[in-house]
Amino acid sequence: MRRLFSPAEQQRLAGASVLVVGAGGLGSPVAYQLAAAGVGRIGLSDMDRVDVSNLQRQVLHFTPDIGRPKVESAAAKLRALNPTVTVETHPVAITSENALDLIARYDVVVGCVDNFATRYLLNDACVMTGRPHVHGAVFRWDGQVTVFDPRNGGPCYRCLHPTPPPPGAVPSCAEAGVIGVLPGMMGSLMAMEVLKLLLDRGEGLGGRLLICSTLTMDFAEVQIRRNPECPVCGDHPTITELIDYEAFCGGAGQ
Amino acid sequence: MKLTEEQIRRYSRHIILPEVGGRGQRRILEASVVLGGLGAAGSVAAMYLAAAGVGRITLWDPAPVTEADLAAAVAYTVDKVGQNRAAAAAEVLRAINPDVTVQVAASEAEAGAGIEPGGVVLLSAGEWRPLHDRAIREGARVVACGVHGAEGAFTVLQPGGPCLACLPPAVLQEAGLWPEEPENPPLAPVAGVVGLGAATEVIKLILGVGVPLAGRLLRYEGWSASFRDQSLAVSGGCPVCGA
Repeated sequence: MRRLFSPAEQQRLAGASVLVVGAGGLGSPVAYQLAAAGVGRIGLSDMDRVDVSNLQRQVLHFTPDIGRPKVESAAAKLRALNPTVTVETHPVAITSENALDLIARYDVVVGCVDNFATRYLLNDACVMTGRPHVHGAVFRWDGQVTVFDPRNGGPCYRCLHPTPPPPGAVPSCAEAGVIGVLPGMMGSLMAMEVLKLLLDRGEGLGGRLLICSTLTMDFAEVQIRRNPECPVCGDHPTITELIDYEAFCGGAGQ
Repeated sequence: MKLTEEQIRRYSRHIILPEVGGRGQRRILEASVVLGGLGAAGSVAAMYLAAAGVGRITLWDPAPVTEADLAAAVAYTVDKVGQNRAAAAAEVLRAINPDVTVQVAASEAEAGAGIEPGGVVLLSAGEWRPLHDRAIREGARVVACGVHGAEGAFTVLQPGGPCLACLPPAVLQEAGLWPEEPENPPLAPVAGVVGLGAATEVIKLILGVGVPLAGRLLRYEGWSASFRDQSLAVSGGCPVCGA
């Protein structure tokens, strides 16, 4: 039988750690697949409880889990799938106060969040701690995935989006809707990128933004380059510590 | 059928989409999908179709859940090893969404009896040709997916072609669509990408929105993160789809 990974690679995954920020639509496939593949330590950060409106796409949570903290519901599923994985739960909001400490405890960070304030916070904290960061986003029938890896000279999320959209300009998932299968597919693409980062194998999506339109099932790729003027990862960074991201995004957090 | 208050909350992210709405969600709740093959790609697709509210789901796979399956098939758990795959998946689907009527087919013929004209069948790599042929002959659409290692593919087959019967077996085999290759097991995220790509096509077919992936084999290779489109030409004179 052919192996998915060499014994050395499987050992490497068992010794690796990944922080999944958000145990919702994108976090569900990411966490499940990393646990299945044998990533040794998985951190889950989410402060929400399971709501019935999550269940149309967040398959880490089942109907009897309504009202339960998402990280607890998720941890139970991952342990049942692979008891050899250590699941660490962080039922807190990720903030400028705790982000650096939390992120520094993991090899790779996966941003499975649905608001701009947390995206900028994760980005800046990952650049400051030198952690590769897999990014994904979904909107209605469309999604995108990329990798920001400060170890390889960027680019970072701010090189792609230097400033957040004006408050209210981009509708939230609750306002715009999302087809339930989409975060499953995008999260799976993200999980593959995590495995490549952990194993240092293959060609990752660093510097490549993969865009998917599922109504036509078309995929496109856009090159992203590091912006030398980037205030976080540029040649002369002006942002060297975490800021107030709610204020930066004009209070457009959720 | 009128949506209940609980259903309006549960499917709110769908109902708000212009392509779905209350009418589309009712269509999903009234739809019937037959799934043949519940390996990593088929079983994760089943989870998402149940979450989306597909009203009747018929599951068919004679194989038991093995320990090796757990390296990629996230629908299963350690305590299900040794149980039939369809029976194990059915329990999870019911826990995800009690709106869904899940049937475990006892035979391929029983699964075939669940096929409706205009309905949708999702097949993942395996010996499911009789199910496919019956579906196409009865006017149903088939979404097929398969994975070997870090490579996977999915496509839509329909009456009028092309269908699996008129495509060269070498093409299907090379793409991982057929047969199942236990000696080359799927990588978990790759099974997620193609299984959920296939599930997306199922939802599009139920709703009648977008452009179905017919005549195109979409291939994903995980280590390079690349997608490749292979166009599927009909050879003519196909006894199954009539193309």
